[in-house]
Parts: sequence; structure tokens; C-alpha cells
Amino acid sequence: MRRDPFPRHRHRCGCCPIVPPELLRRIAQNGTKPQREAALATLATDHSLRFARATAQLLGGPARRITLAAAEFVPYRTIFDAGHREALPGKAVRVEGQRAPRDVEVNEAYDGLGATFAFYADVYDRNSIDDAGMPLDASVHYGVRYDNAFWNGRQMVFGDGDGEIFNRFTASLDVIGHELTHGVTADEANLVYLGQAGALNESISDAFGSLVKQYKLGQTAAEADWLIGEGLFTRRVKGVALRSMKAPGTAFDDPVLGKDDQPATMKGYVHTTADNGGVHTNSGIPNHAFYLTAIALGGHAWEVAGRIWYETLRDRRLKANATFRQFAVLTVTTAAQGFGAAEGKAVAAAWQGVGIDASMGSRRLARRGDRGAP
Amino acid sequence: MSLRIDFGIEGGFAALPGLAKPLRIDCADLSKEEAARIEALVRRADIFHLRLPAHVASIPDARTYTIGVDDGSQHRRLRVEEPIADDAMRELVAELRGHAARLRRAGTS
Repeated sequence: MRRDPFPRHRHRCGCCPIVPPELLRRIAQNGTKPQREAALATLATDHSLRFARATAQLLGGPARRITLAAAEFVPYRTIFDAGHREALPGKAVRVEGQRAPRDVEVNEAYDGLGATFAFYADVYDRNSIDDAGMPLDASVHYGVRYDNAFWNGRQMVFGDGDGEIFNRFTASLDVIGHELTHGVTADEANLVYLGQAGALNESISDAFGSLVKQYKLGQTAAEADWLIGEGLFTRRVKGVALRSMKAPGTAFDDPVLGKDDQPATMKGYVHTTADNGGVHTNSGIPNHAFYLTAIALGGHAWEVAGRIWYETLRDRRLKANATFRQFAVLTVTTAAQGFGAAEGKAVAAAWQGVGIDASMGSRRLARRGDRGAP
Repeated sequence: MSLRIDFGIEGGFAALPGLAKPLRIDCADLSKEEAARIEALVRRADIFHLRLPAHVASIPDARTYTIGVDDGSQHRRLRVEEPIADDAMRELVAELRGHAARLRRAGTS
């Protein structure tokens, strides 16, 4: 068995005395009646990190993160029904451990959050979005015929789709993995949602969204479809998915939606002010680099390619306004130092394949010999 | 003169060029009831005098709506980002989304 090149370390934010949800659950089970009520109210109404930190201070909780072994990580999911309004979160309709109600969207969201939590815990030893047990909240039935899903910084939000172009957004596991990964990125590098950093933010969500699905299905890189949002389009739409990491720019070509305009290489980089500088368009370039890396390294993509990307995301040298090239250089360095020269070369070749030369900078970084992760 | 509105959708979970391209909604082409509803929502949202909140930071995968309104004597072009705090604006955007979807469908049927 290969030695873990990246021994477990906590995330790089050193600011976080928090009460883990597990402690709140214990209070909910074993505390006095007022304590139980207060803990239940906390768990049910506001799971945000900020609130958890405030709660920790109020309860005189531990002044450091509690480190649990991955086997002890347990999700705490709450699914809310927004009732077709655009106010969040809505009414709690399923909390952790409750039986499935008769609502497809509620149960798909619950299962998708569980699969994403399990992926990060099992593969990267990460305890939820913030690596400190942050409860996972999602609202379904948001708005009227609302055809989108997003991460609002605290929770996931799913529309039902309009039934004409889009089906319900809970139907696609990689979409759920994508949205939760926005939370992981915000907790780690906090890449700004603009220009190349924004496109990297999007791409990281696509990469790990796809890996969540591949992990669930037990697929190798060669077996995976590398599609994002497969099944979201209704049968009226001429397209297979919203994006393809394998072949950016080929996912759809439809009279209403237009043609997928994602570039696969820097030659097609789109300069625009729309969509925060084309974050969903230019993400095709790092998406394709990740795909090329995964195919070159073979096997299960989450094991090496995904690990390289994950450790790069956690690397303190990755700046919030990182460019594609700066991110690429860090991935090459991470691969070479964590796995070996062959892996470093494979990653550099993948970036070369999308028109980004990452080899020079990575040699300089490697000579300095420092590691970014704390 | 009746209201004319150019409406486009940027971003969201994916870049969809067909939705981003502004679509003209002309109240003259709508039924009396539909036109009256949109005109009332535009008045309620106070489009021509509305002060939008300063841009702070975009929310991943949230949408930005481009809305251009012309009543013959005034014109205003806005970029409205989700989540939309103002009730009237949220209602107007939902209404325009519905009309835009119907028009796009009709244009390709």
C-alpha cells in the first residue's frame, strides 16, 4: 500500500474554536430540557459556521478544533422545503436519520449530501465542508419553475427546473458535489469568483463533483463519462449535459440554449465581462487539464489526480486571486513532491495539453523546498 | 407607448449563451392582462428610480439578470444579482423569466 504522501493536517484557517455538531447532538440527547431545546433549535435553524463559532463561545466550548478520526465523522443533514418561495431556508422536512418522506427532491438532496460527505471523509479524511463537522443544509422547491442550483455561502439551494429545459436540479449527483465543493473552496483558498480565479473555483467544483459521482459508481478515470449535469436537461433539449470535462464545448447545441462555448485550451480563452468574467466558460480549460491528468495517471481519479488537486487547494501558497498558471504550477509541485517525478511530469504534460506551461515555475518552487500545507 | 423590456440571464450553474442573449419582451405583443401585470410590477419595483445595492461579491452559481426597460420617454438598464432582496424586483424577475421562456419556446417551435 502506498504511504500517504499527505499526512492528515487541519485546514489552514487557524481561527476556529467551534462546537462540533456532535456535541450539540449530545446536548440534545442528554442535556436538561432547556439545554435540549436550545441545542435542537440550533441544529434545526442555523448551521452556519459563524453561528457554530458563536455558539461555541457561548457554551464555553473547546478552544481548539476537536480532531476526530475519519471513521468518527458523521454527517448532519437538514433538508428544507422552500415551498416555491425564494426565501431561505424554508421548513425543515428531513433531518439526519429521519425516514424518507414521499418527496423525490428532498430524498435526492439528502442522499446527495450524504454521498458527498462520505466522499470527502473516506477519500480525503475531511470532516464536512469546513473540515470541522459543519452540518449540511439544503433547500429544495426553491422559487417557481426555478431552473438553477447554487451555494449561498451557508447552504445549497435547488430549483425544481422549469420542465421545459431543465429537470429538477437534485437529479444529478455531480451537481450536488459541485455545490458543496464551492463551500470547501471558500473554506480553503477562498478563490475570488471572478476571472481566472473564478474559473478555477468553478473547475474545482466540477472536478470534485465528478469525482463524487465516480466514487459512488466505483468508476476508473477511463470508465467515467466526465459530464457535469447529465440528466438535468429535458428530452426537448439537444444536449447530453451542461459541460464535458473530456471534450469541453460539446455538451449541448440547442436552438434555445445555444451552443456550449467552453474552450478546452488557452487558444479559445474567452475575454468577457459577462458571468463574472466567463467563470463557467473558461473553466473548460482547467477542467480539461484535470481530465488529461486523471487519464494519464489512470486508475480511480480520486486517488492521485484528485488528491493532487485537493492538496493544491489546501496549499497556503494558492492565493485567492490565482491565475490558471499559478494554480497549474502548484499542482505540478504538489504532484512531484507528494507522489514523485513521474506524476509531476504527467501533470505538467496535462497543463501543456491545454496550452499552459507549468514546468518552469514548479521547478523554482520545488528548489525552494517548502510545502504550503500547514 | 407600451413598455419594452430586454431581458437576459447570465451565469447560473452553467453558461448558456442562448439565455444570456437579451430577449425583447414588448408589452404591445402581450394580452392586456399580461401587459398590465408587467407594467404594475415595473412600477412597484420603481425601475426608473431604483438604487441597486453596491456589488459585494458574487455567489457561486447564482444568476445575474440584465434588464433594460424603455417606456418611450425613459430608459434604464440594470444588472440584478441573485439573491434578490427586494420583493417587487424578485417578483418582476420571476415574471420576466416566465415570459422569456415562453417566447424562446415559441421562437423555436
